[in-house]
Amino acid sequence: MPAPAFTPEQRQRYARHLTLAEIGPAGQQRLRQSRVLIVGVGALGSPVALYLAAAGVGTMGLADHDRVRLSNLQRQIVHSVDGLEQAKVEVAARTVRALNPDVTVESIFATVDEGNAMSLLGRYDVIVDGTDSFRARYLLSDAAYLLGKPLVHGSIFRIEGQVTVFQPGRGCYRCLYPEPPPAGAIGESEQVGVLAALPGIIGTIQAAETIKLIAQVGDGLINRVLLHDAMAMTFQEVRYRRNRACPLCGDRPSIRSLVDYGAFTGAEAVR
Amino acid sequence: MTDARHHRQRILAEVGEAGQRRLERSSVAIVGVGGLGSPVALYLAAAGVGRLGLIDDQPVELSNLNRQIIFEECDVGRPKVEAAAGRIRLLDPAIRLDELAENVRASNITGLLAEYDLVVDGTDAFETKFLLNDAAVLLHKTLVHGAVLQWGGQVTTVVPGGPCLRCLFQEPPEPDQVPSCEEAGIIGAATGVVGSVQAEEALKVLLGVGEPLSGRIFQHDGLRGETRITAYPRDPDCPVCSSHRRITDLSRYADQVSPRGHVLV
Repeated sequence: MPAPAFTPEQRQRYARHLTLAEIGPAGQQRLRQSRVLIVGVGALGSPVALYLAAAGVGTMGLADHDRVRLSNLQRQIVHSVDGLEQAKVEVAARTVRALNPDVTVESIFATVDEGNAMSLLGRYDVIVDGTDSFRARYLLSDAAYLLGKPLVHGSIFRIEGQVTVFQPGRGCYRCLYPEPPPAGAIGESEQVGVLAALPGIIGTIQAAETIKLIAQVGDGLINRVLLHDAMAMTFQEVRYRRNRACPLCGDRPSIRSLVDYGAFTGAEAVR
Repeated sequence: MTDARHHRQRILAEVGEAGQRRLERSSVAIVGVGGLGSPVALYLAAAGVGRLGLIDDQPVELSNLNRQIIFEECDVGRPKVEAAAGRIRLLDPAIRLDELAENVRASNITGLLAEYDLVVDGTDAFETKFLLNDAAVLLHKTLVHGAVLQWGGQVTTVVPGGPCLRCLFQEPPEPDQVPSCEEAGIIGAATGVVGSVQAEEALKVLLGVGEPLSGRIFQHDGLRGETRITAYPRDPDCPVCSSHRRITDLSRYADQVSPRGHVLV
């Protein structure tokens, strides 16, 4: 069945994409038909959700178990004071719909965990990691690989951030970091500082990578991790490969279903 | 601006209590509230910059909304500065906002920028970008320059006494040498990357920490996923910032800058 044509309003809204060689009408249709899951609607999830909504992603899943706190508003630009103490996914859904009512938002007010990750991630084409714990990062990476879905990874810590794309079969989070840091080595999320604009840089690059995956254009940050230092103002690209000894995506994998990530990472940590 | 709001920034060694108070006392002029101005305004407001001057004479259009994330669909037709101010107040009602619905020109730019500590360029025409550069150099103000097109863009920070945009490019390109954003298209996330880098630069300069992009230019190609930072020296014959300067006022700029949609953003 052919996709429905764009309305005159949509042609105006997406005018700058329709003239862009790499998007055009075909790319805009792909965006419209795509389903993206953003796990974590905080510092990284804010710009990811806003820019993917602006781009015209058809269906956006927002998953987060948290509520909006005043201290979030220092960097989480999708939220606002009138959403304080409400579920982040609901507040973000309102902002996203106000920006672009074309987007269907699926709000998932829950922790993504071993019990629901496979069924939840399975419903989407691309997964974006906007979480702030090692437990969640390993969980998402394992689940996305087992489901054969690309994962757009981003993380920030104080004044540093990183972005990469895990394409199944071309390396995963375990290939980059075989072991989590020792429990307690990195402070509790709330006790670690972060500069306001840093997640904007990392999150918008995650949004751009997601758009490239959906439109099937450009060179994704696959097998490359981009590292940013806000104070030195440097961007460094480090190449990595699939680890043939990786227990998840290596030649002789031992992980064939999700494991206990709390136990693996020594409970919660990080940012 | 209560303590809890900026907790995560105050515990950062590079900011601390003193830095947070410094941001609160700072003022930034954001010239152009569009693709770049959206993330710049949101992140500077979130960070706790006390006063923001929003300078733009355009109304919100539907075709802005693929990238100008500070607006909502119901803002279409409203002045950009008014719509952006409304959104910033939802983030932090304590910030002082100046809604300046004006198009910057040689005749008004000195007055518009005079009250602010730092200037962020979110404009869309190269001629305006050079006007901002010359004005910032002549007024001894820091300018965070940014420009975008299609999938990428650039940022450099012009600090008083450091190299300026003319040390890099001398003159703006001829209008027909650069495709307009309308013709060439643009992806929203590219403006997000460049605008967020500009916001980060502004925060570092206001805080007096880290290494700003003075004498360095950040260039980002989102399609290739490539980011480059290149150093550039001060031009000893720069027409505006050297001792041999020929530009000593803004009279060279026609009073009305070139029509909009010329170049970037």
